[in-house]
Amino acid sequence: MTDQSQQLESITQKEYKAGFVTDIEAESLPPGLSEDVVREISRIKGEPEFMLEWRLKAYRHWLTMDTPEWAHVHYPEIDYQQISYYSAPKKKDDGPKSLDEVDPELLRTYEKLGVPLDERARLAGVAVDAVFDSVSVASTFQDKLAEEGIIFMPISQAVKEHPELIEKYLGSVVPYKDNFYAALNSAVFSDGSFVYIPKGVRCPMELSTYFRINAANTGQFERTLIVADDDSYVSYLEGCTAPMRDENQLHAAVVELVAMDRAQIKYSTVQNWYPGDENGKGGIYNFVTKRAACRGESSKVSWTQVETGSAITWKYPSVVLQGDNSIGEFYSVAVTNNMQQADTGTKMIHLGKNTSSTIISKGISAGRSQNAYRGLVRVGPNAENARNYTECDSLLMGDKCGAHTFPYIEVKNPTAKVEHEASTSKISEDQLFYCKQRGLDAEDAVSMIVNGFCKQVIRELPMEFAVEAQNLLGLSLEGSVG
Amino acid sequence: MKQLTEITTPFGEVASAKTLPGSELGWLQQLRDKARAQFERHGLPAKKVEDWKYTSLWALSQQGFSHDAKAVSLDKTELSHVAALEDAYRFVIVDGRFSAELSELEGLEEGLSIKPLVDGLEGAQTMLGEQIDVEKPGLNAINTMLMHEGMVLQVQAGKTINKPVELLVISTAENQKLASHLRNLIQLEADAEVTLLEHYVSLADTEGFTDVVTEVKLAEKATLNHFKLQHESLAHYHIATLASKQAAGSHWHTNNISLGGKLARNDIHSQLLGEEAHVTMDGLYLVTGDQHVDNHTRIDHAVPNTTSDEVYKGVLDGNSHAVFNGKVNVHKDAQKTDSSQSNKNLLLSRSCEIDTKPELEIYADDVKCAHGSTVGQIDEQHLFFLRARGLDETAARSLLTYAFAVDVLQRIKSAPMRQALSNVIEKRLPKGA
Repeated sequence: MTDQSQQLESITQKEYKAGFVTDIEAESLPPGLSEDVVREISRIKGEPEFMLEWRLKAYRHWLTMDTPEWAHVHYPEIDYQQISYYSAPKKKDDGPKSLDEVDPELLRTYEKLGVPLDERARLAGVAVDAVFDSVSVASTFQDKLAEEGIIFMPISQAVKEHPELIEKYLGSVVPYKDNFYAALNSAVFSDGSFVYIPKGVRCPMELSTYFRINAANTGQFERTLIVADDDSYVSYLEGCTAPMRDENQLHAAVVELVAMDRAQIKYSTVQNWYPGDENGKGGIYNFVTKRAACRGESSKVSWTQVETGSAITWKYPSVVLQGDNSIGEFYSVAVTNNMQQADTGTKMIHLGKNTSSTIISKGISAGRSQNAYRGLVRVGPNAENARNYTECDSLLMGDKCGAHTFPYIEVKNPTAKVEHEASTSKISEDQLFYCKQRGLDAEDAVSMIVNGFCKQVIRELPMEFAVEAQNLLGLSLEGSVG
Repeated sequence: MKQLTEITTPFGEVASAKTLPGSELGWLQQLRDKARAQFERHGLPAKKVEDWKYTSLWALSQQGFSHDAKAVSLDKTELSHVAALEDAYRFVIVDGRFSAELSELEGLEEGLSIKPLVDGLEGAQTMLGEQIDVEKPGLNAINTMLMHEGMVLQVQAGKTINKPVELLVISTAENQKLASHLRNLIQLEADAEVTLLEHYVSLADTEGFTDVVTEVKLAEKATLNHFKLQHESLAHYHIATLASKQAAGSHWHTNNISLGGKLARNDIHSQLLGEEAHVTMDGLYLVTGDQHVDNHTRIDHAVPNTTSDEVYKGVLDGNSHAVFNGKVNVHKDAQKTDSSQSNKNLLLSRSCEIDTKPELEIYADDVKCAHGSTVGQIDEQHLFFLRARGLDETAARSLLTYAFAVDVLQRIKSAPMRQALSNVIEKRLPKGA
């Protein structure tokens, strides 16, 4: 074995740092899915009638659907009857009213993860709607946000307090019939975040939520809905880590964004779910539907993601450009290692006039992983002067991994300008030699080259996320010379 | 809507009713039976099959083609207007039948052999059906069960054939709604070289169906310059597979020009099985009216040190619809693969549609692979530049369109071939928009 591949091995076998299990009692439904389970979830949440109806419609539709098989991923069939669809940290009385009442065990978990939940939160300027398994246990900065008229709360609370907004927008971007996992999520989603930014308001801080799957065998079904009204701006951060588990865990989230006239939404994700061990045992199945609608004119939605975790990632954050002059952006770094599989990309659907979209996708594969970019750029017949630029680059590390590119381009308007380019390469001996000659060791050299490769994406992240993302990249890939 | 697999197409009945060439050969009969079983299981591919996502065979399945052609006599002078190459060996098929009178196969150079399919079947066991996958969704199964005519070309080891070969396939008005199922076998031994033009043309507004499979086998260091000009009537259906297996050091230069047809589909597939094998896949499609053209290319880099280079360009006018799908597959351990691919499209009218999908599937790490794809229109500044120099709008647009398309032609090395194809294309360029 060469020196370089030994280095690769030592680095890629670093342990998953966020792997630990918090020992608190969870109140769960028994495994299995039926109409009764859907009714029970709705009852526990104390939801109004329209939500139950919607969940049931989604469930009935889900029964008629088949698991999608077109993605470039392979995994054993999931038995949906073996999953428990609801798990909540056991409540003391009627739930915590302040941080003091939150289970100290839980707080320690966040501390280990570096979540700025208490005093540090204010210093860091981040409002956290921390989701521990399925129920939001604590929120901060509600008051400050409320002053601006911003609604930022768990979606289960929003269902009760703002049913008119939920009824109007929930499912308006990702209908429950959309796809297999979206239908499943619509039927059984337990919690998530809801954000409403009123007209003309610029959200004064980065909104953030940390997800964490904890109780074993609990599929987590998050639902996020963000509505930015006319002339508003919001930046939303989502980051996740998961404790080490041997069973495969299913995560089927839905994220919906709505941007009205001249509104801007920036949605950033650092995804670091447990990827499974080096033999592909365990790990999270991350089957997520994320979609944004640029409803208003001159609206803008920007997705930025750094995907390093999960055994399987199946995720296509998309933008439907309905409003004239609207803009969609997608910046992505996807890293796969060991036995990980990622099939990710975006869809840009141009419907309005003078719409433009940019796609920058960087894929890095190492070990025996498979990493695919799958994207669609569609220009409708009425989308005059639509513009798209797509760049997707892949970096290969090791001769047992795979990198794939499947870009679909569909154009029905002759005024469209669409460009796509893709390249695949490895870190060249020359680049390494150059760096080493200047005194960097191999590990730092690779880290520098990888960070350079991803720079276009990393610089789109908010500051505090950029640091975390760079650490993640470093952790996964330093020193892995192909 | 009913699935295409549920429709009873007449192809199966035809296969049982007809006496097809090679019926005395057991291995061939087995091959045909296997294809028939495959077709009866799967029928024509429906749109939910990924490879046929943008191309519907519904209209084709509704046509009720005839499979028996009347003999047609053509004047040799008439032929000279149709043929693309002046100085060439010519193998002529008229309405699905080989015509010895019209062909020019006298005095073939040493080492070159050209025969009709029926004479070439014996001894073709190791060649026929080897390059294609009968089970692939598409028309390979139909072609295998019904193939009745075609050209078998062989070049002996070490021979370079100087004169090009033109395979001229003509559809006439005498046989309307005729379906022809052609199979060509091209085999080059080591170090052999030949230039071949497959030329498909209609003499009138035929509504026929040409189903053709060309299989190519290249031994070590063989070179095949392979051109295809598809120029059939705007009511014609044309579905073709072009597949090759390439040994070490062999070169396959393909150039696929699609001008005609109501529906034209090409599946072009190269398997690079020996080191230093190279394939060039170029193509140009000019479509207008209600034409639908679909090019699916696939290159398999199966061993280390192979290269491929692909340039496809399209000009779309009228209500036309073009589809491009280019797949490059780098197999495990196929290190040092160098592959580049580009697909560029020029849209000239309001109601045309382009669906393009360049794909890379890579399982080796020391590779250089790139692809690009663009969709655009005539640049207003370029137009202004030419107008400022006195060209009228129509002439300027026509010139810019030609300039866009000519790239593909300039990559052709042989001057007479380039000239012949260029002549045809110039006539087809849209005169302004």
